[in-house]
Amino acid sequence: MTPLALAPDTTYLAFEFSSRITTPVISGAINGAVYGLLGLGLVLLYKSNRIFNFAQGEFASVAAFTTYAGTAGFGLPKMPYVFAAILGVSAAVVVALLTERLVVQPLFNQPKVTLVVATAGTALLLIALEGFVFGAEGVGLDPVIAGDALTSGGLRVTNQGVFVVVVLAVLAALTALFFSRTKTGTAILAVSMEPTATSLVGIPVKRISALTWGLAGLLGGVAGILFAGNGGLLGPGALTAFALIPAFTAAVFGGITSLPGAFLGGVLIGIIQTLGARNIPESVVPDANQVVIFFVLLLTLLIRPAGLLGKET
Amino acid sequence: MTLTASRPVSPPADDAHSSGGREFGPIRWLPRVLVIALLAFWVLVVIPRSETYAPFAADAVIFAIVGLSLNIIVGYTGQLSLGHQGFFGAGAFAAAYAITVQSLPFWSTFVVAAGVGALFAALLGVAALRITGLYLALITLVFGVTLQRSLFEVPEFTNGGAGQPAERPEWLFADGRFYLFCLAFLIGVVYIDYRLTQTKSGRALLALKENERVAEAFGVNVTSFKLLAFVLSGAIAGIAGALYAYRIGNVTGDDFNFTLALTFVLMVVVGGLGNRLGVILGATLFAVLDGYLLEEVGFLHSFTEQIFRTPNLAQYDAQFLGALGLLLTIVLNPGGIAQQIQPFTRWLSGKPFSLHGDSESGPAAVEGSHVRA
Repeated sequence: MTPLALAPDTTYLAFEFSSRITTPVISGAINGAVYGLLGLGLVLLYKSNRIFNFAQGEFASVAAFTTYAGTAGFGLPKMPYVFAAILGVSAAVVVALLTERLVVQPLFNQPKVTLVVATAGTALLLIALEGFVFGAEGVGLDPVIAGDALTSGGLRVTNQGVFVVVVLAVLAALTALFFSRTKTGTAILAVSMEPTATSLVGIPVKRISALTWGLAGLLGGVAGILFAGNGGLLGPGALTAFALIPAFTAAVFGGITSLPGAFLGGVLIGIIQTLGARNIPESVVPDANQVVIFFVLLLTLLIRPAGLLGKET
Repeated sequence: MTLTASRPVSPPADDAHSSGGREFGPIRWLPRVLVIALLAFWVLVVIPRSETYAPFAADAVIFAIVGLSLNIIVGYTGQLSLGHQGFFGAGAFAAAYAITVQSLPFWSTFVVAAGVGALFAALLGVAALRITGLYLALITLVFGVTLQRSLFEVPEFTNGGAGQPAERPEWLFADGRFYLFCLAFLIGVVYIDYRLTQTKSGRALLALKENERVAEAFGVNVTSFKLLAFVLSGAIAGIAGALYAYRIGNVTGDDFNFTLALTFVLMVVVGGLGNRLGVILGATLFAVLDGYLLEEVGFLHSFTEQIFRTPNLAQYDAQFLGALGLLLTIVLNPGGIAQQIQPFTRWLSGKPFSLHGDSESGPAAVEGSHVRA
């Protein structure tokens, strides 16, 4: 009698646990990997220029839209995905370099807040241009690798998801090595600390700045293509609206000066956000994942502004 | 006393200089009075009578109030707030909720809206006072978006998602009269703002912008003055939100997205940070850009459609022009509209017309504070 009554209860509990905890943790980690990728670019520009780049989400969008245009043809012969993706990332790099030349350089000696407003303006400008060319409805981009790596119960892990996590880990490690092991990486850090003295010892400050922004464009471009390939429609400004805030939170949470921190922060923010969204009913707090992010950011800034892995604020 | 040193131009000395040299006769003041009278006639008589212009003019006035409110934080204390649409929206929802659900009297809804705006600003202010500079910009950005996506979607406030109605009383139904009603609020806010810059508190705020540590050393209580700026700014934004609720008649959460917050920052920067008239003109420009130019004239819309052959929304035209205006302003003309119209405003105030201005001209001479953007 008793075992019979107990059996359905435990399966119910097991189901509850997997749908409330296990599934959100895994799918959140995968979502978070894209935040981490976008966050890497933010950390890079913070380390080198001491600014928050609000246009990072749109560098990513430009790459995704260009990749879509390449694969869809637009009157020209359709390109293979790989070429389209390379074209997309190059477009993001070009846009980042143009931003550096036309917006960042003229404002080099202005207060940082001015520069940040200017990057937000750049984001708005790029969103409008995307709207002009691709319309407001949005486009759908194919995943880099189609198919599922794992499906069980309510859990579905796509190949793309696994790929994103791997790419994030590799890029975070490579950029961290770049800063600690190469002369160019050290030169970027030197420029951020003391621009005048750096130029006096013969380091080309302007070229270093262009290089940093190009790198940020590259990281953003990769993030954009992987985000858009996750499914769903990519509209103008989609990345700024849905990925930039979590990416900033990830970068600050992990430590705004730490590249591995962006990786860790991205994955953790993804998990926290998805856990919040699954466990807080919409009727109690609408759009709980956004509220969760606000409190994570606020608490990080109040309790440990340096973040998990950062050394300074 | 030493704090006044942060103001580059000392007005009394300036007046003495200009009236001392020349005679102040009718030839000097008549054209100026005529121009001012013509402008006043246009603003107070022509616009309210026009069915077409009045609604957009009301938008422009409401945006101008928000611009002045944001200017207190950005222009005077030098902090960047990217979440102002949160206070604005909170005021709008509070007024709509008060008049429709609670059936409070019309006038009291403005008190409620101001209170709610101030409350949210105080909450954010208390939490964020230890956070400065870029981090403050970030946390205000996330705060505004969080309010929009979460609080402004609570079914109780949004009438189950359909939007909270906010009906004007009968005597305000006419758009022209509503525009004049908003204008009265703008004049009140301009007066408060003017008084603020003239008082000890106003000078303390400007001192904070110049250098927080120096200000503190002179006995300025940094924390409480920052909080004061936040709360005052939030209350004014809340009132503007209430006016906006009555202007559109039905408030939904989507009205207060991140783009609106950016538009607010853009109009203040393009207008000229720290300059009252510049901010009002910048706000007017953006309100007209968003509404009248693109919806009614539509020439730009069809132009971009022809070039790109994509069905697009007019919003991108406004966004494109706004963003371009911002970047050009920041990079080429940091004083904004305020600096551009300075020869004209100088002439109106009784000085000879000159495109070059005087030795103190340029961004630093713009009244109110240094322009730093």
